[in-house]
Amino acid sequence: MKLNRLLYLTFAVGIISSIVLTYFYLLQRDFTKNHREFLISISNLENSQSDLNYLILENSLYAYQDQDKISQSIQDLQDKYTKIEASAILKDKNYLSIRKNLELFKERLTKNFENIEEFQMLNAGIKNSLVFLTRHVESSVALSEEKNIFIQANQILKHLNDAVKMQDLDYINNLNVTLTSDSPNQQMQDFINTFNAHAMYLVKRYPAFVTMTYKVTHSDIYLLMKKIREEFSLLALNDFKALDIFALIIFSVFLSSLLAISILFAKYLKENKKLQETTKSLEYSLTYDMLTGLYNRKMLEEDLSKSDFPHILVIDINGFKDINDVYGNEVGNALLQDLAQFLKSELLHQADFKIYRLGGDEFAILFEDIDKKVAFNIALSLEQKIMKHIFLIGKLELNITVSIASNCISPMLENADMALKIIKKEQNKRVLAYKESLNFKKSVQENMETLEQIKVAIQTDCIIPFFQPIVNLQSAKIEKYEALVRLKLPNGSYLPPIKFLDTAKKSSYYYDITKIMIEKTIKVAEQFPQYRFSINVSMLDILDDEITSSLLSSLKNNLRVSSRIDIELLEAEHLNDLEKVKEFVQELHKYGSKILIDDFGSGYSNFSYFSDLPIDIVKIDGSIVNEITTNDRKLHMLKSIHQFSKGMDMQSVAEFVETREIALLLRDIGVRYGQGYYFSKPLQMPLVSDEVII
Amino acid sequence: MLKYLTPLLIITIVYASEPISPIPLERGVHIKKALLGKELFFDTMLSKDSSTACVSCHDVSSGGADARVVSEGFEGKKGNIQAPTVFNAKYNFKQFWNGRANNLLEQADGPINNPAEHNMNPKSIEERLNASAKYKQKFQEVYGTSKIEYQQALEAIVEFENALTTPNSRFDKFLRNELQLTSQEQEGYTIFKQLGCITCHNGVNIGANSFQKMGTFIEYNSNTSYPDRAEITKNSEHKNVFKVPTLRNITLTAPYFHDGSVKTLKEAVQVMSKYNLGQQISEEEADKIVLFLETLKGEKPFVMDMF
Repeated sequence: MKLNRLLYLTFAVGIISSIVLTYFYLLQRDFTKNHREFLISISNLENSQSDLNYLILENSLYAYQDQDKISQSIQDLQDKYTKIEASAILKDKNYLSIRKNLELFKERLTKNFENIEEFQMLNAGIKNSLVFLTRHVESSVALSEEKNIFIQANQILKHLNDAVKMQDLDYINNLNVTLTSDSPNQQMQDFINTFNAHAMYLVKRYPAFVTMTYKVTHSDIYLLMKKIREEFSLLALNDFKALDIFALIIFSVFLSSLLAISILFAKYLKENKKLQETTKSLEYSLTYDMLTGLYNRKMLEEDLSKSDFPHILVIDINGFKDINDVYGNEVGNALLQDLAQFLKSELLHQADFKIYRLGGDEFAILFEDIDKKVAFNIALSLEQKIMKHIFLIGKLELNITVSIASNCISPMLENADMALKIIKKEQNKRVLAYKESLNFKKSVQENMETLEQIKVAIQTDCIIPFFQPIVNLQSAKIEKYEALVRLKLPNGSYLPPIKFLDTAKKSSYYYDITKIMIEKTIKVAEQFPQYRFSINVSMLDILDDEITSSLLSSLKNNLRVSSRIDIELLEAEHLNDLEKVKEFVQELHKYGSKILIDDFGSGYSNFSYFSDLPIDIVKIDGSIVNEITTNDRKLHMLKSIHQFSKGMDMQSVAEFVETREIALLLRDIGVRYGQGYYFSKPLQMPLVSDEVII
Repeated sequence: MLKYLTPLLIITIVYASEPISPIPLERGVHIKKALLGKELFFDTMLSKDSSTACVSCHDVSSGGADARVVSEGFEGKKGNIQAPTVFNAKYNFKQFWNGRANNLLEQADGPINNPAEHNMNPKSIEERLNASAKYKQKFQEVYGTSKIEYQQALEAIVEFENALTTPNSRFDKFLRNELQLTSQEQEGYTIFKQLGCITCHNGVNIGANSFQKMGTFIEYNSNTSYPDRAEITKNSEHKNVFKVPTLRNITLTAPYFHDGSVKTLKEAVQVMSKYNLGQQISEEEADKIVLFLETLKGEKPFVMDMF
């Protein structure tokens, strides 16, 4: 069961058991109270009955007595009975038999009260006569004459009194209670008559009186009360037993919920401990690298954010992937651990630094407020030491080299990474300090801007061809124009191709630009029938069917000018499909176009083109031309290319003709065409006049 | 011999302590309620034809009883028994001659509903009382309720009756040792005891604490039909059994007995002697007993002087 659910369950059990406990407490309290009250009421009733009995007995003995006491006692008994009848406990149907017995009891009680009334009547009459007789005997003057009668009367009176006192009829049974005298004394006869009348009256009443006294004082009320009490106790015992069982159950529930709470608590403690451990390891993993025990990248980022003058060395193992591939990850991991130890031991004497593993095979060392040069020297020394160190992994001896970037310029990690990339790319050094100038990020930004400029330029018709004249050095006449692309900026200035063409080449706009250049150049060529025009196309462009078909269809659609449109081919580094170029060139030849090789003598200039491609003209690279007057080797190169061209029946064009001196030398050498600032910058429109002065 | 024997005889009869007790002096009465009850007690509004009040038959200015043999109630109808005194009625163990009411509250309900007496019913009484601004205010003062209920009226009357006690009779003072009775009065009391009167007439009310037969020795007028105890118990033996009447203020409550057949106290003593002792007592003894009985006259109830 889940801890949560168990918790709720325990909570619920706790609440329920508290409620039940309270209920039980109230129940047993009420029951005990009612039970006690009933027993007390019964006791009170018994006491009252005893009191009444006592009073009746007293009344039966005494000649006369204040009978208020009896009526009060009866009233008291009735009140107490009423109270019992109203006992709360009798409302319970378990005590139905008690109620029935009580009803029976009430009947007996009422009957007893009636008997008491009867007793009182008998008693009053008897006592009346007894009291009267006593006085009668005592005060009779007539008796002084007859002592016999007096004694007899006294004896009878004594028996009558004893019979009452002893409640025993034997005192008067067989007793002649009548007096007789033959005295002629009328007073005596009157005395005897009265005496006899009362004596007879008493004897006649005595049996009923004794019976009634006995009845009243020995009524079965006591038995009935005893029975009720016993039956009640028996019933109550069952209830008490039930309460006991109930209490036992509640106590068990209570105990088990206590137990559950204890278990929960123990469980909670255990879970808590586990949680603490997890938290600890989580915290550790947030700060430390699990493999090497060094700090991790997150920690470095944190430390960097706190540091005022950070300097970072980022170390990358060269070819770590190969080590992993060849020896397996285990060895790779062991190597990383060893390197971590090595770094620690090497830097032991340094102050204020931390070592991190950034992930993979990258480590970093963060110095605080350290001189750039000192840091760089540490990097150099580390690189050397690692290179010379033999890492022993099992029986395997490994030599590794590392690249280390040193950086103290924000953003720290990014710049260090960039420096590392440069190291990997250039491969001529293994330690590099980052400088602003290394930042390509800027050009990326610029690229984005340039792309935007290109996009806008295409949309607003700001891709403009400029035209630089190509002069026949021998005739001093302009024969051709090279169309050079320019991007007109909104501020009216023009961007040269070097500023945007490379960017354009990496985008789909390049195609648009080429297309625009072809169309616009063809239009200008229509206006200037006296000149030929050349358009720059990279050999890579030719591999692009879209560009070639576009160019060919433009030529096809403008047959009047297509024979005057030449193509300047720019060499490309990896030209795989020379055959395709060849086909294209042959297509162009059909329209009368001529093919130029651009910038020959620089880059990857390859003579093989000339054997495979039907080249018409060679353009000698400016880096050769502009030094022919000062550098003999360049002059020799120029002459050689010129000779080669002549031999191959190709014409040559010298670029970058920037001085009259160069122009004259070229003419003397016999180079046919010249192009450069000496003659003219690229122009927005070709010149109407073809005359130039050399 | 007689001289020696007499004390012996007296010793053989066991006497109890004095079987009569004085009327308690503490009042324990709700005065306002009692005075409201007094007003109702005197008000003929409580009878159907506004002719009869409680006081009509219970003359509280005298002995609290009726001087007539039988009372006259609604439309001059006659009662069937002599009206007993209302004084000290609170000490009676039961009410009415035959004890059919257990207490005063039960008793008060009787005459009001009796066709021969007030001939009223609770509803009409409530209507009449609620129509009266005077009673509305007085009931409000006593009970704090705006609507008068029949039971409240009965309770007020009972409270008035509770106040109708007559303490400080000469005999009560004698019992409390506050005065000496005259020798004749003392003699009368002794004869009262020696003749056995005391066996029935005892307690605070000198009677009114048991049922006894009128005529234990000689049958008393058997062919009468007074509402006696037999009417309640349905036992023919109980013919002429009545609640023993109180002897307090007995000089003020003539005529005597349930049938009001005797006009003087002396004659009443003689009649009792005849029927319950079977003997004519002497004039001298009767006179002495009457002298004793006269000492039982108490003070006028205090509530009678209050308004």
